[in-house]
Amino acid sequence: MWVFGVKAAAQFAAAVAGAFLLAAAVAALPASGHAGSIPGYLAAWLRQMDLAAHFDFGTSQVSGLSAVTELTRGLPVTLELVGAGALVAVILGAPLGVLLGTGRRLRAAAPLVQIVAAAPVFCAGLLLLWLSKRFLGWQGAGPMPFWTPLLHGDPAVAIGFKALALPALTVGAAGAAAVQLALRRAASLAMEAPYRQGLRLMGLSGFEIDGNYLAPQILAGLLASLGEIALALLSAAAVAEWVFDWPGAAVLFVKSVALHDWSAAALVLLVFAFITIAADFAGKLAAHAIAPEEVWA
Amino acid sequence: MSAPAYSSSHPADGEATPAAGAGLRAAIRTAGFVGLALIAVLVGMSDVVAPYAADALHVGAALAPPSALHPFGTDLLGRDILSETLHGLAITVDYAVLAMLVTLLAGGFAGFVSARLPWGSGVILRWIGGILGAVPALLLAILFIGITTRDLAPLAAGLAAAPLAFVRAYDRAGALARSRHAEYARATGILSATLLRRDLVYEFRDTFLANAARALAAVTITLATVSFLGFGAVPPHRDLGLMIAAARASYLEAWWTAAFPALALLLLILFARLAAALEEGERP
Repeated sequence: MWVFGVKAAAQFAAAVAGAFLLAAAVAALPASGHAGSIPGYLAAWLRQMDLAAHFDFGTSQVSGLSAVTELTRGLPVTLELVGAGALVAVILGAPLGVLLGTGRRLRAAAPLVQIVAAAPVFCAGLLLLWLSKRFLGWQGAGPMPFWTPLLHGDPAVAIGFKALALPALTVGAAGAAAVQLALRRAASLAMEAPYRQGLRLMGLSGFEIDGNYLAPQILAGLLASLGEIALALLSAAAVAEWVFDWPGAAVLFVKSVALHDWSAAALVLLVFAFITIAADFAGKLAAHAIAPEEVWA
Repeated sequence: MSAPAYSSSHPADGEATPAAGAGLRAAIRTAGFVGLALIAVLVGMSDVVAPYAADALHVGAALAPPSALHPFGTDLLGRDILSETLHGLAITVDYAVLAMLVTLLAGGFAGFVSARLPWGSGVILRWIGGILGAVPALLLAILFIGITTRDLAPLAAGLAAAPLAFVRAYDRAGALARSRHAEYARATGILSATLLRRDLVYEFRDTFLANAARALAAVTITLATVSFLGFGAVPPHRDLGLMIAAARASYLEAWWTAAFPALALLLLILFARLAAALEEGERP
């Protein structure tokens, strides 16, 4: 465990350092404009690296606010979408993954899910908007408070739910595809493991084998894919923010790039990369803790 | 490209045999390539098949629903949506093929060669690929377009999809370099360059079409999405993403303005995914 942990931690540290270098390279872009020379750009990059080490990404040239302030406005919106999407992804993806992974007849139906998987996120979002307006009479709305009214039993929770449901479903559908795939792959691998036959010969029932050996393997497989799932959720959230007019970090990124405001764009890139890298690291560690005999590199 | 869902069958439990699984996989792949071939024919003949020229305004009433005269209806500016979808599909395919080639070169080929670079120098490139792969490809593509121009959207989409292809190819080439045949080859004095050349030939022969289809699916999604966000095709050259973006103003009342371009886009991605034998939920 310790050897694996140290190796994974070193990989995590190297990836985070790389993400910082990438963000500094993006944040240095305006400074390179004065002469367009490579030495000038490299000098700006070095300056940005020093600033980035103190988490200073400068000031937005559009709003006049610091890039960190801009991000702290948008990031909670993105995280709310990603969090709600993750919930939907698990609710939809976990049963689907288990059914398709262990239900042998159902496996033949798996290619049909391709039709859903082939739809780009923005098309799925627009379709949900159209369906909700046509059949439920819902109008698209920006972010409204949902979790606080829910916790306090406030009737305003209905308005918040209407605002959150469609973007969360859009993000969740993309995440569900990733969750079910991770589960299905893990289930396929675990079911092929030779120890199953051995345990059966030792007299253990199928239920005991699945509960004590197969389930942890499948859970570990799911956790090992956490980075990939996080990336799928973040990618979908970036599009959902645009489709449903949620002013999150991805919208901030798109607007910043359009206006060549690189400081905010660099910070969003860094945060998105960090979330993926951290999820991958945590997932691999957890997978190793559950099933140390498997290789989770 | 492996598909564990089909290959991990258990015939003893009454499931399909591995041979049947492989047969199903081959049938799916063939269906994908046939679909892509049909789209290629349609795109090649789009100027002949389309009833109207690209961006021909006011050929019908604004927002007319599908009819015999305009089978896909018309949009806000009276353009025939069937014609616009065919022309948009042609532009999307043109851009996507260009982007696919960039991904194959900067991703697959470069990754494969980097794994065999001397003194482990490829490790640095693998590290860079891993970091770029941790950022959504959409944001990378937008960043590249922001740094350059919208005219270079296909190049940007290709480069954005490249890190993942690079990492996959690097890991595969690394595994091949550690394989038994490589050990034997080295033991018999075969040069590393010869071994690399041999592996590249086999890789090209065995996986090129699947990798190309995988890259096509990835870049089509990225290109359509960047166009939807306003970073892709430049009007009057409208690709499917831009058409759908333009339809946002009207599609809630006139569904056909977005539905047909979206359907064309979905079919293109679906066939590419099937041809690559991608699993549902798998990143192309």
